[in-house]
Amino acid sequence: MRRGLMQWDPEELPVAVLETRIAGLRAAMQGAGLDAFILYTNLVRPSAVAYLTGFTPYWSEGLLLVPAAGRLVFATALSNRVADWIRATNPVSEVISTPRPGKLLGERLAGDAAVKRVGILELDAMPSELACDLAGAAPAIAWIDGSAPFAGIRRRIDAAEGRLLTHADALAVAALDQRATTSDAGTLAGLVEQHARLAGAEEIYVALAPDLAADRRLNRVSKPVTLADRFAVRASLAYKGSWVRRTRTFAPDGAVAEADEWFAGVVRGIEVGTPIASWLAQNITSLPGATLEGWMVERCVGSYPLAVTASSRSPGDDAPTDGGFLVLAVELRLDGAPWIGSAPVFVGTPHF
Amino acid sequence: MIADERRARLIEAMADAGLDTLLVYGNAWQGDYLRYATDFGILEGQALALVRSDGHVSLYLDSPLEVDRAELDCPGVEVIHARDLVATVDGALNRLRNQRIGAAPQRLIPRRIALRAKELNLSDQTAFVDRLLMAKMASEIAAIRRAVAVADEGYRVFMQAARPGRADYELIAESEAFFRARGVDDNFQIIGVGGTEVRGMAPPGGKRLKRGDLVTTELTPCVDGYYAQICRTLVVGEPTPEQRAAHTLYRDAMEAGIAVVRDGVAAADIARAENDVFRERGLGEYTTSEYTRVRGHGMGLFADSKPHLLENVTTRIDAGMTLIVHPNTYHPAVGYLVLGDAVVVTQDGCEVLTRTPRELFSVAA
Repeated sequence: MRRGLMQWDPEELPVAVLETRIAGLRAAMQGAGLDAFILYTNLVRPSAVAYLTGFTPYWSEGLLLVPAAGRLVFATALSNRVADWIRATNPVSEVISTPRPGKLLGERLAGDAAVKRVGILELDAMPSELACDLAGAAPAIAWIDGSAPFAGIRRRIDAAEGRLLTHADALAVAALDQRATTSDAGTLAGLVEQHARLAGAEEIYVALAPDLAADRRLNRVSKPVTLADRFAVRASLAYKGSWVRRTRTFAPDGAVAEADEWFAGVVRGIEVGTPIASWLAQNITSLPGATLEGWMVERCVGSYPLAVTASSRSPGDDAPTDGGFLVLAVELRLDGAPWIGSAPVFVGTPHF
Repeated sequence: MIADERRARLIEAMADAGLDTLLVYGNAWQGDYLRYATDFGILEGQALALVRSDGHVSLYLDSPLEVDRAELDCPGVEVIHARDLVATVDGALNRLRNQRIGAAPQRLIPRRIALRAKELNLSDQTAFVDRLLMAKMASEIAAIRRAVAVADEGYRVFMQAARPGRADYELIAESEAFFRARGVDDNFQIIGVGGTEVRGMAPPGGKRLKRGDLVTTELTPCVDGYYAQICRTLVVGEPTPEQRAAHTLYRDAMEAGIAVVRDGVAAADIARAENDVFRERGLGEYTTSEYTRVRGHGMGLFADSKPHLLENVTTRIDAGMTLIVHPNTYHPAVGYLVLGDAVVVTQDGCEVLTRTPRELFSVAA
């Protein structure tokens, strides 16, 4: 549950930026023949609504209606008292508190004779009660999956998002520097989390592989566990709705410095249009004694903060696009020992 | 192991209800149904699980990071990475035709699957799982006791962090660090800082503490999957007579509610006892939904478990249920104020688990 700093700052995220994003979605709607668009949000699937409004729910859920013109409507089962807080963090929507958000928005749509086709982001995954209420209130409307047009407007990030992501990454980097003072994994997780939250992180998930040589899988730590010589820590961190992931491997005597440096170079050098699989294959030869065990690319293309779009198991279309943002995770075996890392990547020429 | 006990109880209940398979949904917000069936505390993405009457559990996750975590945390559960979660489980359900399949919580089952309910013989079994979630086994109550103890400690950490000039999110950061080091997986916490302008609690918004502020918090750490809550209010500096008087009212209301708790009463009885104290003092208006949400609720695998304590909720309270009784609401003289203790219901009353004194705390200004 969200419990870090949740605040809308008009200098960080001006209303004009949100209006430009909304206009982008409306253009995509027009291209897809959609008369309106509906987006679902909860704290696990916050990113599409946050992109358009700046708002993330700390609890519960809601639906955002983007009509073809006019003010957006955010309907939520959160109570009227919480609606004041939502208005303070969501400057572009009418906010309505109702026990049946689907029914309310369905009735609104049904009341507009011009609305025939409505796009829904991630239609198949819409919670059934909301979907049923929408359909029940507006039986004549055709509901269309709007995931592709929405992903289209998320191919490039704007300057405001770039700055928020940069700040989120700075918090993650600083938080992961807290490792030196303890040999207990739970205490280390607490230190990393404390540092990030004190610095204003909205959320952070800390995961560790306490003995990387024994098991490369990372998990949150909920009992005392002694850290081995070689361990890894992952910080998945949000600042004002913008998410990054950073993973670092720690080992004594600078044993991972060369891999760290190699990975930083790989990230810096990622080029528009060059598939990640090719780029890594091309670069791994420059790290003596290393073999590439796996990789993964995550992007924000829908309601999830980060979702896997390509990996060594399923490369797909992994060529980075200009102005895009992604998180690259890599697993290596280096002179027989494991190394894992992940970092955010701004693709092409940053315009912020 | 609690997880093994839960699963055995679930399988037995499924047999009694004539269910061949149970489909459960979960995410990091509403994760209790999933946790009951699989013991997985999901953080990212979404999950669906199929529990078969022979005890086999398949857990489908759309995040590969969560797959790693589930493999570590859930021995005995088949963990499946499903990049397209809904389509994969939809396909798996095709292979279960001619079975009686229950679903919980029905309202969150993905649309694509819910639309095929009739074809799949899929029925809403939310209430069936709710009964298991509310009536705790001894091992579950023991976990909640541990969570209450760490909530008491966590509130002390929170209080020590409160001082003029600090931002609200910094107080939460300090308690989170304590919780992670103490094995607390998760925590639900909201906060209010200020006076009569504060009408409820919310996530921290960067407000800095100053002399005279009421600082309210609802702190809900999770131990072994079980959430336990404490609600307390502190004042930055010496409390005013109005703040003290208001706190006395809330303490009286909470104690009136706790005095009613026992096996066989209704949730409404507890809420009514709390609200009567406000009504007797001319503040009945502040027990309505315009000013408050609930007068307490269950504690368990969800931070806001059933039953909700409201005057229109007729759910029977049974021995073994765990509740927080909290008359949290707005007070016109001082602003939003909270006070709540955790209890476990017994045959002839309840045991109060919370150890933190029922005081209006004060920190140096």
